[in-house]
Amino acid sequence: MAAAGRTQLPSDETPTSLLSATTLVGPATLFVAAGLLVPILILLRYSFNRFDPRRMMVETFSLENYVKFFSDPYYTGVLWTTLRVAALCTVICLVMGLPLAYVLARTQSRFKNVLIMLVVLPLFVGNAVRAAGWMVLFGSKGFLNVTLMQFGAINEPLQIMYTEGAVVAGIIAVNLPYMVLTLQSVIEGINRNVEEAAFSLGAGPMTMFRRVLLPLSLPGILAGTILTFILGMNAYATPVLLGGPKFRMMGPLIYGQFQLNNWPFGASVAFVLMTATLGLTATANILVQRRFRR
Amino acid sequence: MTRSKSRREVLLGAAALAGAASLPRTASAQEKGRIVVGTWGGDYARLLHKNIEEPILIKDGWEVVQDQAGDPERRSKMLAEQRLPRGTSDVQALSALNMFQMHDANTVLTIDYGRLKNAGNLLPAMKYPHGVGHIYSGKVGVYNPKMSPAAPVSYKDVFDPKHGNKLGIIDIQYQYTMVCAALAAGGTVKDLEPGKKLLLECKNAGMRIYPTNEAFAQGLKSEEFGIGVMWKARVVQWQNAGIPVAAITPTEGTLAYVSGFVIPKNAPNKDGGYAYLDAMLEKSAQEAFAVDMGYNPTVTNATVAPDLNQRIGFTPDEIKKLVDLDYDYMTRNDVALKEWWDKELKS
Repeated sequence: MAAAGRTQLPSDETPTSLLSATTLVGPATLFVAAGLLVPILILLRYSFNRFDPRRMMVETFSLENYVKFFSDPYYTGVLWTTLRVAALCTVICLVMGLPLAYVLARTQSRFKNVLIMLVVLPLFVGNAVRAAGWMVLFGSKGFLNVTLMQFGAINEPLQIMYTEGAVVAGIIAVNLPYMVLTLQSVIEGINRNVEEAAFSLGAGPMTMFRRVLLPLSLPGILAGTILTFILGMNAYATPVLLGGPKFRMMGPLIYGQFQLNNWPFGASVAFVLMTATLGLTATANILVQRRFRR
Repeated sequence: MTRSKSRREVLLGAAALAGAASLPRTASAQEKGRIVVGTWGGDYARLLHKNIEEPILIKDGWEVVQDQAGDPERRSKMLAEQRLPRGTSDVQALSALNMFQMHDANTVLTIDYGRLKNAGNLLPAMKYPHGVGHIYSGKVGVYNPKMSPAAPVSYKDVFDPKHGNKLGIIDIQYQYTMVCAALAAGGTVKDLEPGKKLLLECKNAGMRIYPTNEAFAQGLKSEEFGIGVMWKARVVQWQNAGIPVAAITPTEGTLAYVSGFVIPKNAPNKDGGYAYLDAMLEKSAQEAFAVDMGYNPTVTNATVAPDLNQRIGFTPDEIKKLVDLDYDYMTRNDVALKEWWDKELKS
């Protein structure tokens, strides 16, 4: 009887064997798993091999590449620089992105779509091309220096190119749209009435933000923060083009090792970067959720 | 009774027509088979097509496909394919150092010069057992005459700490820069320690390091610095672009840069590979590369106009004094040299 009852469910609620969620999701999941996990596992295996200038690598099982990384202040310094730059860019993106996302989410303007397009517009240009634009702006005879010199604000050109500041500015320009779009979509889903309720109960704008908007938009803040932090950790073109030869982040370091055909060390540095990124984002996720659950 | 054609039938018919139309051309292009050429992209790939592939090989019935990528990627691919009975490329464009490294890794064929009709014209120095030199240039001293009225005459004059921040070097050219500095400091191509010491002195005096050749050219143009070392061919391109720069041949001997081709051991079409090597040594192709790219021909029968030769070429005495890298030394020490460069010089 029960079985007969189940068969009489409306067709759109009945899981069919062919069109069930598992069947639909399965092929894509398998494809991603094979295309992502298998190469990662191969890379992990390579990271335990030994570099040989003639044969590229010798199969063995050794932790020497990881020991080399963590025992050399040069390499740990590169990791710290990467963490510092990614964290700084993420914080600045959040501070700059939140008000912008709020305005975009709440505006009733008929130009709302145009405003959103303006936020997305930088993503239409590749990172390398965008960095080239910054180079024109930041160069010793670039727009910024020439303008400042013409107005007499400075006598000698400022050294902006090939500094950490230039890299931070470049990465923020790349990551900010991701933060804004993520936050905007979440804030749009928060009912405006809850904000008005807070105001009608006597809360000021800051209190309303702290007690109402911030906790409710936390999923968006977390998602945006994680997204921009990961992008910052893995930045390649911006540090290379704006940071110059003396500025080192993990992305260019990994590519440099593969250029030297030192796959085992390159693979181990890639795993250090991946583990650090995953570990930090997971920890931040857990800590923030615990903090706001109370 | 007639019925209108469905969209699918119309598309099928159009595809069949297009396929039939391309048949004779395809058959003609593949008459002798396909040659897959691994090469850098950009100007070099374009000029290979313009000066070698289109006028010689394709005209002769070969189909030529370029596999464009940087040399680290292509070398990795060759190593990864080493175990396969059939690789994916028939010839690979590499620098002389990289040609040696691939030979050292046992991935490339020993060249049978008897199969190259143009081999008799090849300069002896460009006849590697494992590869064939295509073009060459040399690392010359470059300076801005406005900023350095007294022209340098040697690498020693270039790598002089007295230049302070008016001396510039290029990050991606670490191997050649270290060897030039070694020659300046009395070292040799396999004793780079004096060069390292000299480079550190220059660094402490304010030497500038530019990430790429293009950034170096930009620095020269904006007069951020006024002296350094660069390939003579590139200097010609910069002069043509209006950058104020002059070149000198160093008295220590000019460090040579050779770009050539190898045939992978597992090349699917070795005959095609040899045909490509022969075509690149053709007089017309070699002359065209000198004009278009500013690199010197590697064959003796190529004629370069005297005014062009004066800008890109070397005198017979200078050719005798060309200095080659010690490929074995560089291969064994490349990682250590790069680590020193990154950790000590750039820190």
